[in-house]
Amino acid sequence: MESLYAYTWLIPVLPLVGAMILGLGLISSSSFAKQFRKPSSVFIVSLIGTAMVLSFALLWSQIQGHPTYERSIEWASAGDFHLSMGYVVDHLTALMLVIVTTVAFLVMIYTDGYMAHDPGYVRFYAYLSLFSSSMLGLVISPNLVQIYIFWELVGMCSYLLIGFWYDRKAAADACQKAFVTNRVGDFGLLLGMLGLYWATGSFEFEVIGDRLQELVQSGALSGAIVALFAVLVFLGPVAKSAQFPLHVWLPDAMEGPTPISALIHAATMVAAGVFLIARMFPVFENIPVAMDVIAYTGAVTAFLGASIAITQNDIKKGLAYSTMSQLGYMVMGMGVGAYTAGLFHLMTHAYFKAMLFLGSGSVIHGMEGVVGHDPVLAQDMRLMGGLRKYMPITATTFLIGTLAISGIPPLAGFWSKDEILGATFKANPALWVIGFLTAGITAFYMFRMYFSTFEGEFRGTNAEIKRKLKNEQLQKLGLAFGPGAMNPLELTAEHPAQDHDAHDEHHASEPHESPLTMTLPLVLLAIPSMLVGLVGTPFKNYFEEFIHAPGEVIHEAEVVDWGEFLTMGGSSVGIGLIGITLAVMMYLQKKIDPAAIADKIQPFYQLSLNKWYIDDIYNAVFVQGSRRLARQVLEVDVRIVDGIVNLTGFVTLVTGEALKYLENGRVQFYALIVFGAVLGLVLVSGIT
Amino acid sequence: MMSTQFPWLTALILFPLVASLPIPLLPNKYGKTIRWYSLSAGLVEFSLMIYAFWKHFDLQNSSYQLVEDYNWIPQIGLHWSLAVDGLSMPLVLLSGLVTTLAILASWQIKDKPRLFYVLMLVMYSAQIGVFTAQDALLFFFMWELELVPVYLLIANWGGQRRMYAATKFILYTAAGSVFILVAALAMAFYGDNVTFNLTELGLKDYSLTFELLMYGALLVAFGMKLPIFPLHTWLPDAHSEAPAPVSMVLAGVLLKMAGYALIRFNIEMLPNAHAYFAPVLAVLGVVNIIYASLTAFAQNNLKRRMAYSSIAHMGFVLIGIAAFTDLGMSGALLQMVSHGLIAAALFFLSGVTYERTHTLMMDKLGGMAKQMPTTFALFTAGSMASLALPGMSGFVGELTIFLGFSSSDAYSPAFKAAIVLLAAVGVILSPIYLLSMLRTVFYGTESKELAGVTLLDAKPREAFIALCLLVPIIGIGVYPKLATQTYDAKTVAVASQARQVLPMVAQQPWLDLQVPFSAPMILGTETKDLATVGK
Repeated sequence: MESLYAYTWLIPVLPLVGAMILGLGLISSSSFAKQFRKPSSVFIVSLIGTAMVLSFALLWSQIQGHPTYERSIEWASAGDFHLSMGYVVDHLTALMLVIVTTVAFLVMIYTDGYMAHDPGYVRFYAYLSLFSSSMLGLVISPNLVQIYIFWELVGMCSYLLIGFWYDRKAAADACQKAFVTNRVGDFGLLLGMLGLYWATGSFEFEVIGDRLQELVQSGALSGAIVALFAVLVFLGPVAKSAQFPLHVWLPDAMEGPTPISALIHAATMVAAGVFLIARMFPVFENIPVAMDVIAYTGAVTAFLGASIAITQNDIKKGLAYSTMSQLGYMVMGMGVGAYTAGLFHLMTHAYFKAMLFLGSGSVIHGMEGVVGHDPVLAQDMRLMGGLRKYMPITATTFLIGTLAISGIPPLAGFWSKDEILGATFKANPALWVIGFLTAGITAFYMFRMYFSTFEGEFRGTNAEIKRKLKNEQLQKLGLAFGPGAMNPLELTAEHPAQDHDAHDEHHASEPHESPLTMTLPLVLLAIPSMLVGLVGTPFKNYFEEFIHAPGEVIHEAEVVDWGEFLTMGGSSVGIGLIGITLAVMMYLQKKIDPAAIADKIQPFYQLSLNKWYIDDIYNAVFVQGSRRLARQVLEVDVRIVDGIVNLTGFVTLVTGEALKYLENGRVQFYALIVFGAVLGLVLVSGIT
Repeated sequence: MMSTQFPWLTALILFPLVASLPIPLLPNKYGKTIRWYSLSAGLVEFSLMIYAFWKHFDLQNSSYQLVEDYNWIPQIGLHWSLAVDGLSMPLVLLSGLVTTLAILASWQIKDKPRLFYVLMLVMYSAQIGVFTAQDALLFFFMWELELVPVYLLIANWGGQRRMYAATKFILYTAAGSVFILVAALAMAFYGDNVTFNLTELGLKDYSLTFELLMYGALLVAFGMKLPIFPLHTWLPDAHSEAPAPVSMVLAGVLLKMAGYALIRFNIEMLPNAHAYFAPVLAVLGVVNIIYASLTAFAQNNLKRRMAYSSIAHMGFVLIGIAAFTDLGMSGALLQMVSHGLIAAALFFLSGVTYERTHTLMMDKLGGMAKQMPTTFALFTAGSMASLALPGMSGFVGELTIFLGFSSSDAYSPAFKAAIVLLAAVGVILSPIYLLSMLRTVFYGTESKELAGVTLLDAKPREAFIALCLLVPIIGIGVYPKLATQTYDAKTVAVASQARQVLPMVAQQPWLDLQVPFSAPMILGTETKDLATVGK
């Protein structure tokens, strides 16, 4: 068993080695490396598979009660300062390792089918492997600095993968937006980290927590400053886990290929924020202000995400807002002190949301056969419908995911969401109301998505809708560029060049089910989506026995309060059912016309459709503002700072011309000045 | 005080000079002989360097090593006095690597190749001279010797406004040199004994006013070179006009000469004045970071944008120098080495781009990733290093500086918080200007100007140069001790020397610049470092 722990470092290193080999191959000879498509993918998948087996072994050993294992080496030093890096294996690490490796493994298998025709197939695997490595490095980090390091590295991988299709303008904008927004969060994390180090002299979570408490109690440090540090650290998770107000990057990040939306932007990286809050729990839990900030941020995000998801027509954008909303639940759970519940939801969400995203990818893959490789058409639900007939496996697994996220027992989402809501109710009923309403909205928009995609008539061949969608996009671009900036015709003329297979004019008239490499991961993910919740039922909470806040004592024989369970569980199932019923009436039976409702509540509809105008406000204030500021500073630089220099130069030139007649040689003159200056200096210093 | 061993440093300085002598006489067959000759000279020099330090440099020793001292021109007291310590050794290696790669990057120089390579080799010698000189006059001599080749290289092989840029460069730096010379002479003649030896100058007991004056003069001189706002405006012009290999050396090595000299002269020789000037340095560092990041963002010229980014990165060096801690000093040196590598890589790659597109204007570039995937990948890696991505050297440098400054006990918490906060704004700004550069140049569809133009991807030679720079960048980023252990003993000594005068300064009742403050410590518990906590 010990040798297993001694070799834990292999878990992140294996995928790293794979990524390096592929990357070096691509850089040194890309045409050569691209010939080995299958061998590369098999190689990468087998490496992550090995890491997965190791992770399961670690999880099993931790369940058996193996003590926490930590190993580190000195990484950097300067004088008396030493900083070490290494890994820690405890319950939380083992759980996260298993979540990350299983999802990564399945996503990589899926990628083979999804990216089969893409010229960047090998590069995609290299990036995926690099990401897996960074993410695994993050979860085994024993201290705050190492978390920060891998935190940024997963951010970089996310940047590379969002911008994977670099010739798409939207992808180029999205990847930069993601990186910069995350940097804003990292800025807070960095400052918080420095502040905590200044106060406690340590980067270790438990040590920081203990010392902070002592400092506050002894009065050496004011509570306000400690709270400030904690909130700064929390800015990191705010950006990474797409919490309001730094959530704007996540929906745009959907420009990346769908497998990474599933892996990075649903299951693993975005959950890293929740993971960091869990790691920092010993620090946060003693700072009530910070806990409140966390809880309210989570609640606001949960509601905001759900309220925007209702009106989204892009299937991936809808799922992205849903992810944001679910992450809000987790953060809210953490904020009210429900450590176990937050992480439980992280686990269940990782599985069912990864499945939903992969399902949406399968749908897009099928749609591309009909409408071509154009994200505007292939991802829009208004062109879908009736896909269950053509894609039965995708439809079934998507339905399972939809039920799970809607909180229908006994699927996974019910247990975890119910636990969060229960804990929130005890801590703060106002937050519970938000979470409760959001649960209803979630059920509604998820079933809206399911019905418009898989039920009814297939609309993919409807030329009129297609034209309408293209026009909408042109308008959007026109708005973004400003009127007259670009001739819309130019775009349409440019359009065929963007298509991967523009030559392929003979699109099929019907979508098809995806290949086995894509459906198999869907089916495999459906299993945990259905069953994994059963490890954390209130009747016998194995999950809580295994994962609980550091220092918390678990009462073994806790009697299940049936009354409470039934009211809490019943009410959340109830509101879920109401949402589903509404969705059934509006999108399946068409008894209520959604457009009519939208007309009636026009302001709210517009608010939701325009994402609460947050992107527009940010664009006007921050993006344009920073550009304006930069231009003004440059203006100052050129006109004033450099202007003075040039003026001086000009004046010297003129006087130099005049001096020419006075002096015999420049060298002597130069020497004279130097001599005079030295003399003056010595005199001045002699006097004082 | 002659050492019995082979005069390695003299050999290192003279070898490129001597090697450059036969170049005008060599036949240049197909334009290939001279470049191969120069490259091999550079490689031999670089290997000599590695060998000499490997064999004769003791990493644990913080004092001068490989010392040589000859009376050169006794009439004016000029000594040929050389030595290296932990401060200069990494920088000598850096200049060796960058200059050799710059020679390899000059393959496309077709115009007057003989003169070009002679100048490159002279520049090589002068750089090593600057970093190893132990005599103030010799230092000044080497500093000047460095300027001439750079001036000629920009003036002859530069872009359209090359004369303007070259003149501006030479005027700026010549003005700075006057300050160095004046300060050196004044310090040499101060007191009873006249000496130019740096160590002896450092031991002299100057009056405080004199120290402050000297410090100010040297700060102006080195501030022009580093550069520090508002003395920076020559740099964007010089960079945008210089050919890529010269930009590599300019950003990679020449800017570091100023950082090195700041530590060598201002801190080691004038520690009392440093105690007063340090807060100024920190503020200037922050101004550099924010001001230059913003101007970089507004630039349309690729190389100007990177020139401003260099200014921003050198701001971190200033903050590190001002920290009075082991960490800060170590971070400052690491940041210099790391920026030397990163800037060289980025300027080289922008040269690769320029050779194909013949423009540096970003609004005329666009969508180049499709045709130049390898260049795109290398450019991305370089930009990531420059924006201080962990796992690369820039991050370690900046993190150590942040840690060093925030754990400094020389400043009040409010001042520290303000400096750290503002410097951290640079962490947000650097991806904005670097990633938007990548987006405009490589992402999206091809620009009108590039439509239909065939662009060759990076050749193996070019990829090799970039990789030679990226490998140490990543190596240091993954395991910083690779770099830090080569100078740790020295930076600790410098920092403790700087710290020693702090209590004296704080006692001066009439100057209340600093409020000594220590971080709150828990009574009885010594702050344990992570290495012991981890075990």
